[in-house]
Parts: sequence; C-alpha cells; structure tokens
Amino acid sequence: MSEMLTITIDGKECTCEKGEYIYDVARRNNIPIPVLCRSDAFADHRACCRICIVEVEERGRRKVVTSCVYPVSQECAVYTKSEKILEERAVIFALLAHRAPDAKRIAEMNASMGSDGFDRLVTIDNEKCILCGLCVQACDSLGTGAISTVLRGTEKKVDTPYDRPSEFCVGCLSCANVCPTGAIEYAQTDTTRTIWNREFDLVFCEKCGNLMGTPESIQHAVGAQGEAPRVCDECRKRELADEMMQTYRYV
Amino acid sequence: MINGTEKILVCCGTGCIANGALGVADAIQAELDARGLSDDVEVSAQVVRTGCSGECEQGPIVRFMPRDLMYYRVKERDAAAIVDSLDGEPVQKLLFKKDGQTYEHMADNPYYALQHKVVLRDVGIIDPLSLDDYIARGGYKGLKKALAMTPDEIITEVEKSGLRGKGGAGFPTGRKWRTAAGYDVFPKYIVCNGDEGDPGAFMDGSTMEGSPHAVIEGMIIGALAIGAEEGVLYIRDEYALARDHIQHAIDDAYEAGILGDSIMGSGHKLDLSIVRGGGAFVCGESTALMASIEGRVGEPRAKYIRSVQRGLFDHPTVLNNVESLASIPTILREGGEAYARVGTENSKGTKVFAMVGKVKHTGLVEVPMGTTLRTLIYDIGGGIIDDRPFKAIQTGGPSGGCIPESLLDLPVDFDTLTEYGAMMGSGGMIVMDDRSCMVEVARYYVDFLCEESCGKCTPCREGLRQMRAILTDICEGRGKPGDIELLERIGRTMQDASLCALGRTAPNPVMTTIKFFRDEYEAHINEQTCPAGVCEKLTQFTINADACTGCGLCSRACPAGAISGDRKEAHVIDPHLCIACGSCREACRFDAVLTERRPA
Amino acid sequence: MTDQEQASKISEIIEAYPADQRFALAAMQDMQHAFNYIPEEGLSALAAYLGCAEAQLYSMATFYKALSLTPKGDHIVKICNGTACHLRGAMNLATELKRNLGIDPGETTEDGTFSVELVNCLGSCALAPVMLVDGTYHNKLRVDQIPGIIESYANGEVVSAHD
Repeated sequence: MSEMLTITIDGKECTCEKGEYIYDVARRNNIPIPVLCRSDAFADHRACCRICIVEVEERGRRKVVTSCVYPVSQECAVYTKSEKILEERAVIFALLAHRAPDAKRIAEMNASMGSDGFDRLVTIDNEKCILCGLCVQACDSLGTGAISTVLRGTEKKVDTPYDRPSEFCVGCLSCANVCPTGAIEYAQTDTTRTIWNREFDLVFCEKCGNLMGTPESIQHAVGAQGEAPRVCDECRKRELADEMMQTYRYV
Repeated sequence: MINGTEKILVCCGTGCIANGALGVADAIQAELDARGLSDDVEVSAQVVRTGCSGECEQGPIVRFMPRDLMYYRVKERDAAAIVDSLDGEPVQKLLFKKDGQTYEHMADNPYYALQHKVVLRDVGIIDPLSLDDYIARGGYKGLKKALAMTPDEIITEVEKSGLRGKGGAGFPTGRKWRTAAGYDVFPKYIVCNGDEGDPGAFMDGSTMEGSPHAVIEGMIIGALAIGAEEGVLYIRDEYALARDHIQHAIDDAYEAGILGDSIMGSGHKLDLSIVRGGGAFVCGESTALMASIEGRVGEPRAKYIRSVQRGLFDHPTVLNNVESLASIPTILREGGEAYARVGTENSKGTKVFAMVGKVKHTGLVEVPMGTTLRTLIYDIGGGIIDDRPFKAIQTGGPSGGCIPESLLDLPVDFDTLTEYGAMMGSGGMIVMDDRSCMVEVARYYVDFLCEESCGKCTPCREGLRQMRAILTDICEGRGKPGDIELLERIGRTMQDASLCALGRTAPNPVMTTIKFFRDEYEAHINEQTCPAGVCEKLTQFTINADACTGCGLCSRACPAGAISGDRKEAHVIDPHLCIACGSCREACRFDAVLTERRPA
Repeated sequence: MTDQEQASKISEIIEAYPADQRFALAAMQDMQHAFNYIPEEGLSALAAYLGCAEAQLYSMATFYKALSLTPKGDHIVKICNGTACHLRGAMNLATELKRNLGIDPGETTEDGTFSVELVNCLGSCALAPVMLVDGTYHNKLRVDQIPGIIESYANGEVVSAHD
C-alpha cells in the first residue's frame, strides 16, 4: 500500500495516497474544480484547457498548478478559489468564450464567472471547438487514428488529413460524443450517417431493429479478421441468457 | 622567411561567406600556389562564421596564426598584398582602426580586451574540421581526467564550478547531473539542446560550427557522470553548417576511439547521433524537444515529472544546452574552482552574447558573468550606430524583455535582471535606438509567438491571439483606454497558467515594454502618435528643407516613388504616395527626414 | 519525375531507416529535400512502414516548418525576420516582394516560379536585413534593390540549384 498523506483543500482536511492528482482528491471530497479537457475515459490527461488551475502551498511556497495532473507528493494546502485563481480562471474562461463563441457550455460557464472587462476581445466566427483534444485522444485510443491536430499556434485545429474524408474513420461518433462543446458535427438520416465529410451506411440489429452503428465501426470492434455480429449487444445478451436458461432447465 | 607553420585563417561562416569570404580564400590559395608557397602555408577556409572575431560586419576577416595578425573587410584583390605580408609589414589598410589608432593583433583590439573566452576559446582559432587542431589546444584533456575519476568526482567538480544552465533557465548543471546519476534506470540519455531559436541569437550555432569537439567532449563527460551510453544532439533545422561540423567531429571521434564501444580504451561506451530539428521554436522547450526526438509533434507534456527522472523514451535524461556543454571540458581540465573564480557570487564563469541591432560592432562576445550592459554596449559594442540615443536593449528573445537606459549599470547574470522584471535569457541581445517603437517590438514578438506556440494550451494560444489583436489595434491607432490593463491581465494569467516555459514567458516582451515604456503605449492610445515614427498608420514623413542637401539617397531608397526633387535642391515627399516605410529616414545621412503625427 | 520514379524514391528514403517512430521526422525531412515537399504518397507509405496513423504524420507535417505538403516554387525567396532584420526593415522587403510578385509570404506564384517565405533568424544579424534566394545571401538589402534581384532570377540570368 502506498503512503497516505493528509492535505487541506480550501481548509478541509483530505486524506489521499501519495501521487494522487489533486483534482481526484478534491472530487472525492466533493470540492468542485471545473475541467474541460479531462475525461475519466483516459488515464492520461492533456492538461491543456488550464481551467482546473489551483494554488498549492508546499513548504511555505505558493504556486499555481494544474490540478488534473499535479500529484500530491507531500503535505500541502490547496486553494481552489483564491483571489488569484478566480481571476486567472476568469481570464481563461473569457479567452475560451471568445475563441469559441458558439459553444453554449463555455458561454454558460463564462457567464457564471461573473467577470467583466473582456468586451474588447476578438472572437472567431461560428467556432465551437476549444481544442481540448479529447476527440483526438478518443480516436487514438480506439486505434482508428482518423483525426489529429493540424498546424500549430493560433492556427491549430482538429481535422482529418488533407481535410478530406478519412479512409480510417469508422463513423463511430466517439469523437463527437466525448466533445465537451458539441463542436464535432454529424448528420444522420434513416439509413446514413455523415461525419468528417464522410458518409456511412447504418446497420440495424436483425433481431430488434435497433441501430448498431456503421458497418466500419462494427467491423473495427471485432478486428479486421473478426466476424461482424448481426445482432446488437442487448439482443446477444438476451440470446445468451435464453441459452443459459435452456441449459439449466435440462439440468 | 616564412617559418612553415603559419596558418591563414579565413572566416567562412554564414556572415563572412555572404560578404565574399569564399572568393577571398580561393584568391589567397591561388596566390600561394602561384608563388609555390602552398607547402609552407596552410590556408584554412573552414573557420567558422562570427566565431573568427565576432565581428561579422567587418568581414571577411583573415587572420594569421600564430602571429595573431587580423585583417578586416578583405577583398579578393587584396590577396597578393596579404601573401606579401606573411614575412613583411602588415597591410595597413586592412587593419582595425579606432579613434585614430591602428591595431595589428586581436588581443589589442578593444573589442576583445574586455572579453574572457571559455566557450569560444578555440572558436576561430582552430579548424573546426580538425581533431588534431582541437587536441593541440588541450582538447579531450578534460575527458582524459574525467576517465580517471568516479562519476561522483566528476559531478563534484562541476558543482564546484557553479556552472548553471546557459540556455537561460540557470538550473545548476551539477545538481541536474547528480539527480540523473541517482536513478538506477537504464538506459539513460544525454541530450544536447542545439535548437537555438531566438530570433537574433546565434551563440550556439557558432559554437557548434567553430568548436564542435568541445560540445562532444562535454557530452561524453556528462554521459560518464550520469551513466548514459547514448546521446543525441538536437540541432536546429536552419543550422546546416553546424550540423555538418558536428557530424564531421562525431565521425572523427569514432575513428579516433573517443566515441563508441570503449571511450579512449576505458571500456565505457557512448554513441552519439544528430537529430535535425523540424523548424519549431517550441522545441527549445525540453519536453517538446524530446517529443520531437521521439518522432512526434513537438508539444510539451503536461506532467509534473522532471526529465532527469523520466525524459526521452520515459528514461532518465539530462538535457544541457550547447554553451553549458562546451564549458565542461575547461571545467574538468582546469578544475571547477578555477572556473568559479570568474563571474559573480551566484552566476559563475562566462556568458556568450550575440549582440546585434543598432550597435556599432555586432557579433559574438563572451564576457565574465556580471559584466554590465553598459560595458557590453558601449565599451565592447562601440556604442549606438550614428551615435543616436540608446532606447532599449532586448535580452532573451521572445521569452525576455526590453531593458531601459536606467538599468544599464546592472550586472548581467542569472538573477539580477530578473529582479527588475527583465532577464538575461539565452544570450541574444538586440540594441535599439530612438527609432525603434517599443509597442511595435512587443507586437513583433507576440506575432512570432502566435506562429511558434505549439497551440496546445489555452492561456498561451488564446492569450497570444488576443494580445496580437490588441497590440495591432494600438499600433494602428485603434487603441482604447483600458487596453494596457487588459494586456497585463492576460499576461499575468499566461505567466502563471500556461503549460510550458514558452507560454509562461511569452508575455515578457509585452509586460516589460509596458513596465518601462508605458508612456509610449499611452501616446499610441491617447494621442494616436508613434513617438519613434515607426508605426506607419500613425506616422507621416516629411523632409526638412533646411537640412536636405538634395543628394538623392532618399528618393533612390523610396520603393513607392514618393520622393522628388532636383539634384542639390531640397526634396519633397508626396504624402499620397508615401507608404511610411521609413526607408528614406534610414537612407538619409543628414537627419533631414522628419516624422510627425499623421493627421487622422 | 514519373509516378514510378517517385514511388521508388519514396521507398528508398523510407527504407533507409529502421521501422521506428523516432525516425518519422528524419524520413519526412529527406522527402522534403528530395521532392521540395512531401507527396501524399510519401506520407501514406511512411505511415504504413512505421505502423502509425497517417493522421499522426500529417499532424507533424503541418506542425514543423521545415516540412511542406504543397510543392514550392522554382526559386525560394526567404526574408529573414529575425529581430535584427525586423528592426532594419525586413517587413518592407516583404511588402516590396508583394508589389513585385503579387504574393504574400508563405505563397507561391501561380506560374510556380517563386515562393516567398518569412523565416526566423538566419544567424546573419550583423548583415541585416538579409534575404536569401535559393541559398544565396543578399545582405544589407535596400528595398530598391529587390526588383533587380527578382528580375535576374525570373529571366533566368541566375540559375541556382536548391540548397
């Protein structure tokens, strides 16, 4: 068992394992810290949105750190709402809100900060993406690798290579689902789905008729050599259960 | 008579080549051939650029060794006279002259008298492509000593020297090595950061070009100290000559048994290779550099784990910059204490600076830590071009700040300038006169960083975007009250909350210009005036008829054809054609071009 | 260069390296050098060889300034915009080039003759402002010298190989 430490977060004593991230300790203790680029789905955090900043005081020295990746290494006092943090978080929210004026969630979060003085900032028309990178992380973790960040600096964006429909995209919607601001748009008809400019067919369960996904995503899930299932997970489970029941009945 | 050991060094670095050094070298060689002297005199055309003297503006530079005779601004047609002077009187017209005095030897030249060369000790003196040259000057003696020492003893020697990372951060090199040596995880790596990307800095490039073995020797000693068997030199894409010279030196070192399976027969192993940078300023940041070596996009990583513990390929890694590594051989050879005798209490040894901009003598200088900016600019640099008023010196590039006249007497070291809200930085120094607009300079660096930021984290990417918009507005007369405060607000957040050092230091040019030149910002915002006469939307150029001699330099320099006038008559600028580029003001030798506030 | 020649050149470049991600940048730089850009076929061939996602290489190719995904012009004009050059009017050179060639930095003329790039410090600060055409330095350049220089390349007076 690893070493246990006691730290304070906003004055509240919290016990944690050495090496645990401050954000995780705070969440366990019901102390809210806003995050955007962090998802429980991934063990690695990109720590790029920077709104989860907190102040940490260790051995009398106080510094601003990113709570989602800052490991507790010694006794310390954490401040999630110090004057400095509130000010800087407000600036970061204002920056995000002006980058992505069409992202509703960001606008709401920004409004809740109640800060002013940012009317002067410029906005990007019709933008929703805050470049948190979760979509790329999701796509990579599935092994599809259809999208990536493109360019750098203020020009950075997420895209498929050459801004063309990607042959590697399987239309699984993981990127769109993990996106905190609804920036990845897709369209769906009764029989097709379009995402990243590529149109996919849709496959329905032979048993219940529920949507199973695109043929590409179903095949991807079982590997290139695997046999694609024709019924949905639910129905397969039910089939299995039926089989089991049949078996036991004979016993 | 020629003694048979005389060498003629022709500076053939980027700067001198641009001034025609290759032709000069060929002409001298041809002259020697014609006189049948080729066997007696060696012409070395591979000497580094600025390294030869640090005065690239005076190039091409030709130097006799060991006689230490230096010729400046040499032309091909001077070849015969130069060869004549091998056993005769120096060619007077090619010698350095200042204040009516002529200087034959490098050591007498005031430009060098105040310098103290450790990193640059061999630069410009040896042929960088010759291992023998390096060894003849004491090269690899430090390594020999290190091989007879334990890793702990090597590290102790470096600790005694007080050497701190010269890339700008100033972390004690000895401590870094000791931490890395303490991890029992193998393999370990030693990496040389040769990705010098500050616009206006070329210290590391010149060192790699001019004394590649010093960098390699430093890396070998570091590898012995921490227990690394593989090392990588990450060299900036634009530095083709530096890469060639380092590769040549690596090959020679392998050949000589200095690198490879048994370093000088010691049984210790080290392999070195070069990774060519991809052209990204952010790769000067340690974790971005390592990501780049690993074959990925050069984005810094967010983890709070030091590279000495988990760096390249997640293994213990020591990353040192070129100048730090090139200091190591001297520290081992002459002892850490000797090195520590130079410098200030907390910044030992020397620092190399690339001094450029509106200063008379531009080029590389190496001075003891603690030398004042005033000494650098006026005593070594010779003062401001045309003796115009000094306005600011920019140190540390896009991560640094603009320092005003009032701070010129501060000693330059790792800590002092920082206390005053500026910084020493990696060594780039750009001197600015009264014709440099501080707001425009800030915008220039922010522009640079908008492109060079990796774009990963919000404060840096979006903060820079907004800063650029606000600064552009100010430069173009659309500044609003409150802009300065908003810039400061964004800047402070970037300094605290950005992911890596690039983002945390990115606001420095803006913050320091606001701090020291606030009145210039206010003039732009409140009066739509650019006091320096640079911001074109706010500036109108006119010619003072009393001062104008009608020489016509301005009209020839004008790209817009906006200047007219008869010869020897006062010229006139047509405000409708003028694009306010300032070429005429640069061209005028009589201070006759004036700037004033452009009417709205 | 025929498609076949290009394909075999691509294989030659890629296979000179072990199939390890750490050589991705080096292989792409070699392609850049050989073709003056990275052809699409090169990117996908390298991805297949290294076993990584093409998107990852595309990301790198757009991130690093030394790499380009579109062919550059026959002559590459680089304006140094390092601080020293900037202070001595590098942007005026860019403006003058635009007047002459009709393109901004980062663009290539329609006829494919010239590409103009604004580059970071070339390390020749003492000779500012500096413009590099295909590896040839033009120092302490004045705006009025630019038309002549461009003319000499455009009409073939100066023929230079790429560096």
